[in-house]
Amino acid sequence: MSAHGASPQAVASTQSGPRRYLRDTGLLTVRSLRAIPRVPERLLDVTIQPIVFILLFLYVFGSAIHVTGISYKDYLFPGIIGQSLAFGIIGAGVATSNDMSEGVIDRFRSMPIGRLSIISGQVMGQFCEAALGMTIVVVFGLALGWNPHLTLAHGVELLALMLLGMFAFTWAGVLAGMLVRSPDAMQGIGFIVIFPLSFMAGTFVPIAGMDAVPRAIAEWDPIAALVASVRGLTQGVHTGGSWQLEHPEIAMALWCLLILAVSMPLAVRRFNRTLAG
Amino acid sequence: MPSEPHAIEAHALTKRFGDFTAVDQLDLTVETGSVVALLGPNGAGKTTMVRMLATLQRPDGGSARVAGHDVLTEADRVRRVISVTGQFAALDKNLTSIENLTLMARLRGHSRAATRTLVDRLIERFDIGEFRDRLVKNLSGGQRRRVDLAAGLIDSPQLLVLDEPTTGLDPRSRRVVWSTVRELVAEGVTLLLTTQYLDEADALADRVVLIDRGREIAKGTPAELKTRVGEQRIDIVAGDSAALEQLEQLLGPSFQMSVAREQRTISIPAPGDVADLARVTAVLRDSAIAVDELALRRPTLDDAFLALTGHTASAEEIEADMAGVAA
Repeated sequence: MSAHGASPQAVASTQSGPRRYLRDTGLLTVRSLRAIPRVPERLLDVTIQPIVFILLFLYVFGSAIHVTGISYKDYLFPGIIGQSLAFGIIGAGVATSNDMSEGVIDRFRSMPIGRLSIISGQVMGQFCEAALGMTIVVVFGLALGWNPHLTLAHGVELLALMLLGMFAFTWAGVLAGMLVRSPDAMQGIGFIVIFPLSFMAGTFVPIAGMDAVPRAIAEWDPIAALVASVRGLTQGVHTGGSWQLEHPEIAMALWCLLILAVSMPLAVRRFNRTLAG
Repeated sequence: MPSEPHAIEAHALTKRFGDFTAVDQLDLTVETGSVVALLGPNGAGKTTMVRMLATLQRPDGGSARVAGHDVLTEADRVRRVISVTGQFAALDKNLTSIENLTLMARLRGHSRAATRTLVDRLIERFDIGEFRDRLVKNLSGGQRRRVDLAAGLIDSPQLLVLDEPTTGLDPRSRRVVWSTVRELVAEGVTLLLTTQYLDEADALADRVVLIDRGREIAKGTPAELKTRVGEQRIDIVAGDSAALEQLEQLLGPSFQMSVAREQRTISIPAPGDVADLARVTAVLRDSAIAVDELALRRPTLDDAFLALTGHTASAEEIEADMAGVAA
């Protein structure tokens, strides 16, 4: 045997198919997850920001906001959950953009691994990060006295919706991260697009009280469907104003499927082409 | 197909980024068991060339085969025989040295147990033990390059591609990388390396292809190239422009020379080493002309360019290439 490696015969890399795909995806997911404790600031988007908003709205602005029929605390937390889910797009985008500019992805691409595994590993890693962030936010909310009234059925439905939402938003973020020129650009786009959409989604104040233009946008804002779903399932509060707000769970699921149908193929195509030209 | 295909056979390979042609109809042949250096300044198209060969970028024209496999239609097979390390195919900086090596080995299909043996051997061979558990982002440039090389050699690739293996390294780390590469070459690894340094190509390669603006300007053995470029030269930097004129008049009759006016530098070929230097100093000794610097120099990449193309590698091209890559 030569001094610098195994003989080619010993290599199992000719194996292919779904098992190989799952194995490689798993390895690459673990790779992404290892970065969390080492670059903890990556979690900021999905933890510290929502926590700051919770504190601000609960203890600073909250006293000025009155929503009929519900305590502001119970009104606020579903909004925060929807917003953090949306911030997951920014988190996934920044992380992906960072990764793509690092060169390690190019090394993977030059190795005999399925390219779908590389992108799946990226998505799964970001998905787990989003889930971790969400768990922290929910636990924080419960500790502050948020009181979700969940039946088992609603709990399962909520969990399923959240996972679907995280999955779809992560794909959208990964796609965005591959399209932008730099992680900073991703932050910028997040600030210009995701921030306003996540604020006007009935997150902190009811949509019904908004001015005509933002109200029209909010009524069809996907994040509004998300917020309305969480609020409906946890507090039994139903909103109206547009079809999607009257059927938020269905609307939310449709939005997610639409986002996935668009971003999955585009992200894969973008990845298979080239990154630098 | 011939019984033993060349490690690389590229014909008229071309890559454009918008209006900018990064690689322009480049031919390249690397015979199995040989070491070829792609030599050129920043932005010459070296990395783009390598990226196409490594199946990371689609050529816009021409064809290329690696170990007999077409880079477009048999990309998967190419990826199995090639191993790329260097500036763009890097390591995960948030993993430790050993985690990187383990990940790469596992991704190449090795079992957990086989990976452990393999990685232990690589760590020993490349002297990584001392920083095996340190995060790559905290390693020095030289240490990182060692891990990089180790990762590139997990499966004894048929073709190893090193993209600028010593750019940004201090001289000592450079020597270490060189000696490692020499060991690999002695073992019979086929190697394609890109470099901006003439002395690096000279030290490591059997054959050198000099490229500029995506085109080949010269190729041959390092010795052939050096003969064409001129073995050594004497550089005289004048104290001011008046002194430069005086020097030209003084030295012109007895020496063949070129003048770089902006740098106030006169260059005189010095194949005869110190003897030539002595002849020049003899003339200068009695002149009392202000000379800032007088030195015997080995040819640089810029000299090669000047000799072979009549121009130096200018900053504009580099910027143009950067813009092209970013687009």
